[in-house]
Amino acid sequence: MATVQQPIIIDGRPLKEQLARAERRKKYVAFAMVLPLLLFILITFAIPIGSMLFRSVDNPRMITLAPQLTAELSEWDGQDMPPEEVFEAAVKDFKLAAEAGTLGRIATRVNYSMAGARSLIVKSKRKFKNVTEGPYREVMIKADKRWGELDTWKTLKKVSVPYTPVYFLNAIDRDLDGDGNIVKQPSEKRIYVKLFVRTLWIALLVTVLTLILGYPIAYLISTQPPRISNLLIIMVLLPFWTSLLVRTTSWIVLLQTQGVLNDLMVWMGVISDDGRIQMIYNLQGTLIAMTQILLPFMVLPMYSVMKTIPLSELRASQSLGANPFITFFRIFLPRSIPGIGAGGLLVFVVSVGYYITPALVGGAKGQMISNQIAFHMKSSLNWGLAAALGTILLVGVLVLYWLYDKVVGIDKMKLG
Amino acid sequence: MDKSAREAYVSFNNVQKSYDGVNLVVKDLKLDVQRGEFMTMLGPSGSGKTTCLMMLAGFETATSGDIILDGDAINDVPPWKRDIGIVFQNYALFPHMTVQENLAYPMQVRKVSKSDIEDRVKKALGMVQLDGFAGRRPGQLSGGQQQRVAVARALVFEPKLVLMDEPLGALDRQLREQMQYEIKHIHENLGVTVVYVTHDQAEALTMSNRVCVFDDGVVQQVAAPNILYEQPDNAFVAQFIGENNTFLATVKEKNGDQCVAQVDTGETLTALAINIGQSETKTTLSLRPERVTINPNAGEFKNVVSGKVKELIYLGDHIRTRLELCGQDNFIVKVQNAARHSHLLEGETVQVGWHIEDCRALDAL
Amino acid sequence: MSLPAYTGPVGRIWHAAFIAICCLVFIFLMAPILVIVPLSFNAEPYFTFTPAMLRLDPEAFSFRWYLDVLGIGEGTGANRGYEWAFAARNSLFIAFFATLLATALGTLAAVGLSRTQMPFRKPIMALLISPLIVPIIIIAAGMFFFYSKVGLAYSHLGVILAHAAIGTPYVVITVTATMVGFDETLIRASASLGAKPLRTFFRVIMPLITPGVISGALFAFITSFDEVVLIYFLADAEQKTIPIQMWSGLRQQISPSILAVATLLITFSVILLVAVELLRRRSERLRTSAVT
Ligand SMILES: Nc1ncnc2c1ncn2[C@@H]1O[C@H](COP(=O)(O)OP(=O)(O)OP(=O)(O)O)[C@@H](O)[C@H]1O
Ligand SMILES: [Mg+2]
Repeated sequence: MATVQQPIIIDGRPLKEQLARAERRKKYVAFAMVLPLLLFILITFAIPIGSMLFRSVDNPRMITLAPQLTAELSEWDGQDMPPEEVFEAAVKDFKLAAEAGTLGRIATRVNYSMAGARSLIVKSKRKFKNVTEGPYREVMIKADKRWGELDTWKTLKKVSVPYTPVYFLNAIDRDLDGDGNIVKQPSEKRIYVKLFVRTLWIALLVTVLTLILGYPIAYLISTQPPRISNLLIIMVLLPFWTSLLVRTTSWIVLLQTQGVLNDLMVWMGVISDDGRIQMIYNLQGTLIAMTQILLPFMVLPMYSVMKTIPLSELRASQSLGANPFITFFRIFLPRSIPGIGAGGLLVFVVSVGYYITPALVGGAKGQMISNQIAFHMKSSLNWGLAAALGTILLVGVLVLYWLYDKVVGIDKMKLG
Repeated sequence: MDKSAREAYVSFNNVQKSYDGVNLVVKDLKLDVQRGEFMTMLGPSGSGKTTCLMMLAGFETATSGDIILDGDAINDVPPWKRDIGIVFQNYALFPHMTVQENLAYPMQVRKVSKSDIEDRVKKALGMVQLDGFAGRRPGQLSGGQQQRVAVARALVFEPKLVLMDEPLGALDRQLREQMQYEIKHIHENLGVTVVYVTHDQAEALTMSNRVCVFDDGVVQQVAAPNILYEQPDNAFVAQFIGENNTFLATVKEKNGDQCVAQVDTGETLTALAINIGQSETKTTLSLRPERVTINPNAGEFKNVVSGKVKELIYLGDHIRTRLELCGQDNFIVKVQNAARHSHLLEGETVQVGWHIEDCRALDAL
Repeated sequence: MSLPAYTGPVGRIWHAAFIAICCLVFIFLMAPILVIVPLSFNAEPYFTFTPAMLRLDPEAFSFRWYLDVLGIGEGTGANRGYEWAFAARNSLFIAFFATLLATALGTLAAVGLSRTQMPFRKPIMALLISPLIVPIIIIAAGMFFFYSKVGLAYSHLGVILAHAAIGTPYVVITVTATMVGFDETLIRASASLGAKPLRTFFRVIMPLITPGVISGALFAFITSFDEVVLIYFLADAEQKTIPIQMWSGLRQQISPSILAVATLLITFSVILLVAVELLRRRSERLRTSAVT
């Protein structure tokens, strides 16, 4: 039976509209409370990262430092030797840049794509100083015969585009050749794919190790009466709260060849004094230190799932005839899988981006992708490549983050 | 008579239990359950009922005393070898398994063949009228359905003894009554021994062969439901089971199985001497509301006192009448709503009377 | 753990093995902390136990590295005491203001996020938590470019803002966790009794979530206090903190005064941890007593 619903009217307005207004008001209030932090995070965190990522394709240096040359190069088709205008623009721009003191930066940029370009360009400061009229082509070739080679100009054209895929290609061990084809880097420069693989491998190993070590103690803690379990929790939390650098320092002290562990083994006669084991400044050092440092991230989520498994379910299983082993494998283990998922994903995400520990105890073999990014940021100053490597890393981490949200839910993230 | 009828199937022999080493939660428990019996443990919250079941099931160890199952002490038998079906208070269904898997579980661990398992699961589901639910997970069932799965799981491996810990606690009244009937039915059909825990006295009275009333870790009385109601041994049981009028009084004289007691306002009443001390000690007189007559014929009852009507509550078949008498303003009488009954008015003064046999002198509360 | 009477020999062996494994894991977990404390009292400039120390010879122990750190010893170079004191002052200053900012913004946001009417709850939450997930090196690189451009690099303010940004997720998480058990009818009750929203916030909401706020604040504090990478990228000598001092010490040539500093930091974190534990228990008590 269908009846026509009369809208309810209060104070001359439909009730529904009034309710919607009240709801909207509450929405604004809630949003207004979140807004300050949202803006703060956007400005101090999200935008900086976004603009950094932009650098992985951005290529402004040549445009700003050598504007005439870039304009002329973009006209040129890149097939045969460039026309005289390009040579003229090159000479003029290099002269201007030399006066402004920016020639070195141009040289550096070109050098990323062409070995030896730095000296070639820096040299031109002296060579072109007194050149005021053409033909510029001859002048340049006279200064250095490399200016007469097509490849040089192709490289210049390549580095002068406003947006470039080169950094990303470099980040996966590829490059553009003079004709714009994607080619593999020479084998001695193919390091990044290997490094990404190693990073994932280390993260996976650390995850598995923390799981193997963490599961028993999470189980132990979850089955103890509160007095003992609280004490054990504190023992898990204490390393969590201790400074990362302090713990890394301790591992150096413990594991180095003249360190506590080696001394102990020599003293016990397990190894001879010159047979001391290299346990640090290699992959092993990174693994040991990271496992210890990330163990609490594994134990705490597993524990918080395990303690919600009702005792009565385990009892039900036993009363139905299953001995403790069967009960563990058929009831407890499957019920604790969400905890394993939460802890595992968390440890994996955090370890993929690890930087400090590998930097301090990893040696050459224990370095991860973050260390390479830091190297390009701080030492080689190849920021575009750093940004490209960072973008790839960030995308990977965000995928894992998304997965974590699907599997665990970010609002279920707990601390201690 | 064969062995099973003579000997108790389950017996608690002087069992004590303490969790913290200070307080006894179960005190000197002596209780026998016969084979095939439906025994209910009834008592207020925290009185130790669950503790008793868990000791019987093997999940708690008795601090002292023995628990005998079918003639053998079972203290050293692990829970998974006791063959006791349990329906837990919160069901304890395995949420990561389907109904089918939950029911198959006890037989899988006993290495029953696959086809047998399937047959028995099907039969068990039929028994609790859940055919067609085998593929669901517990989270996809209503409370009542989960409860029936729990019952089925406790019975499917054919244990001789089934323990149920307030299995109907979470259900609404209608479903609860239906389930009470079903459990009772299953018990009669299968002939298993059931130890059932509840703190709902109506449930205890309707379902059980015998009821064991617990308070504070001590058994107050073990008896069939009608005995428990009509002949409570002490004031706690009288209070706990059904509605009850009580007077605090002082024993004046005791002759044979009767005694005379004086209430604080001076009236003397005669009652059955069930559980009283010497003269001049306190006693609780207990009287069921439906055994009281208003304005009786002269000489019909030995005990007659006058009281004032304070409140009338119309309940259809009877009228619940609250009176003030003997200094007690909460004296309840159930007046049948029959044609010949005169209608009372609030504020009216009336005579009330009752038989000596209906009034029991018990221990002072 | 006492085993039930019916446990057989196999069960007992398994149990013993299990306990042994757990003990080993706990030793692994605690070893770095336990080793560094006694070594910091080493009288010799070695990073291992000298035979004299193992004999518990009192001569083998000394406070010299602590004196160095405090600037009273004979330490040289980067380990001159005033360097550490300077770094400590910077660390505390930066951590204090970063915590203040993170706590204020984070608490307000967490309360808003816990409202049922909050629009776009999921994606906003994901964004606000992300500083916890994004690798620190990426954050550092991004901030380095951006803060240099807007003139915040190499300033205390820049470092404080950066640390506040990575500290807020902790506050948001702990406060939302406390809000989960929060009974919304309390807010209505307060309103029905005539309290305006602001008063309700301070008189009803705040007292109940204070434990969460304080523990979030402590997390934010320790995060800032222990942070190296952002400082390494964003700061110069003026903003040098304890971790960066340790970091450069570790990368160049490690001096035993680092062990003394490490021990002091461990003591500090024990104190903070105990504070957080006590708060957590208190909030659990508050919450359970609110339910029953
Ligand atoms: N694991 C335990 N540790 C300490 N004390 C306990 C434990 N379990 C129960 N108790 C105490 O033992 C007493 C009896 O508890 P029990 O669970 O047997 O009561 P119950 O009769 O089943 O109550 P309810 O009807 O509420 O389920 C209670 O006072 C309770 O506080
Ligand atoms: Mg109970």
